[in-house]
Amino acid sequence: MTRLAKRIFYKELVSYKKRSSTYLSPIVFFLITIALYPLALSNDPADLAFLAPGITWICVLLSTLLSIQNIFNEDFEDGSLDIFFSLRVSTLSLVIVKILVNWIFSSLPIIILSSTVVFLLFLPSESLVILLTSLLIGTPVISLFGALAGALSLGKSSILGPAIVLPLSLPILILGTSAVSSFLNGENPSFYFLMMLAIFIFLLPLICYACIGALRLHYE
Amino acid sequence: MNKTFNNLKTFYHKLGSSPWFYKISGITIPYVALFSFLFLSIGIVWGVFFSPTDFKQGDVYRIIYMHVPAASVSQAIYYTMTVAAVVSMIWRMKMAGIFIKSMAPIGASFTFLALISGSIWGQPTWGTWWIWDARLTSTLVLFIFYIAIISLYSSFSEKKSADQAVSILTLVGAVNLPIIKKSVDWWNTLHQPASIKFTESSSISPEMLYPLIISIFGFYLVVLLSGLMAMRAEIAKREINKEWFKNY
Repeated sequence: MTRLAKRIFYKELVSYKKRSSTYLSPIVFFLITIALYPLALSNDPADLAFLAPGITWICVLLSTLLSIQNIFNEDFEDGSLDIFFSLRVSTLSLVIVKILVNWIFSSLPIIILSSTVVFLLFLPSESLVILLTSLLIGTPVISLFGALAGALSLGKSSILGPAIVLPLSLPILILGTSAVSSFLNGENPSFYFLMMLAIFIFLLPLICYACIGALRLHYE
Repeated sequence: MNKTFNNLKTFYHKLGSSPWFYKISGITIPYVALFSFLFLSIGIVWGVFFSPTDFKQGDVYRIIYMHVPAASVSQAIYYTMTVAAVVSMIWRMKMAGIFIKSMAPIGASFTFLALISGSIWGQPTWGTWWIWDARLTSTLVLFIFYIAIISLYSSFSEKKSADQAVSILTLVGAVNLPIIKKSVDWWNTLHQPASIKFTESSSISPEMLYPLIISIFGFYLVVLLSGLMAMRAEIAKREINKEWFKNY
């Protein structure tokens, strides 16, 4: 199982490297949406600093939506998923590795990039660590939901994915932004981190099996 | 004991058969319609015309006889859909899929009714149509879930996979709804917004409570009625070419 997982991992890395648009477009989207907020709301540093955690979280959430269609679609279209499901190999490792690679390519660059909000949105620099930690813990859950939505809406209209992911990821958005704002209020944010971690651990097996079930629907 | 269990088992198996359901629902629908009309009219008429006026809110409060039943029904429908989703996932029962497909639009409309009647109630009483209160927010999320389920169903052309996909989404939603509710509660205590509180615990007097209970019961009967009719229509749609349907 681990050997298989490793092979899928390398295969996924190579295929993501070849299609640079899949990981570049979320980055571009993230930067543009971050730039939209000061233009639309105000350029006052005090206002922006107050809104920065929320804006950053919303932008991260929306940019990860761009990549959910890519998680399974490529393999679905070229038939490799078909082969996977007809072979008697562990589909669980396939799903987990695919979610992991998708997170590495679509969420991780955005998380690293989001440290620029210290300059762009005047986020107090001492709370940057808290924001990055909340993103690091929270985005895997969003990737899980994204994978489920991608699996359910394979080959369907692309509006279906966001309609599934966004309501499901409300708790993560609330907890993630609450962590930063509670830190800015001088409280200890560890409660929110632990809560997000608990949600991740609770949902990981559930969503993975739901993904397998959803993928199987297309091969019945 | 064993006999009752066996009876339950045969009942469960019968429940999975669409001809049986089609026949039984055809017989029961008139009675359910009669009783839902009775309960609903007694509840609403008693509530609107004969129950005492609230000394704080005046006559506006009478929308409670619409709002509370709709809100209670909107959540109950999701719970029943969750049970059907489990049945559909484990035993692949055809009727469970038909149930989810037929109940989702009904649930969505009652959730919408709860939201609308709540804001019509809120305007004259608390001076605002909408507030980002914990309960309102989670009802709105419930509404979005219903819409997502309906749109996911309509995106599949194959009924069987549509049923399974919708069951998966319903289950994941059911697991998530308590988390959403809890996190919205935390969020609400963190951003203590206005002094308006919808969740004020106040004891309701019996003269107001009895029509409310009757009206809630009437709403459940209406849901049962519309559910039976929608499921019947769905069975007819799916099995129009089957032999039993042609001979019905």
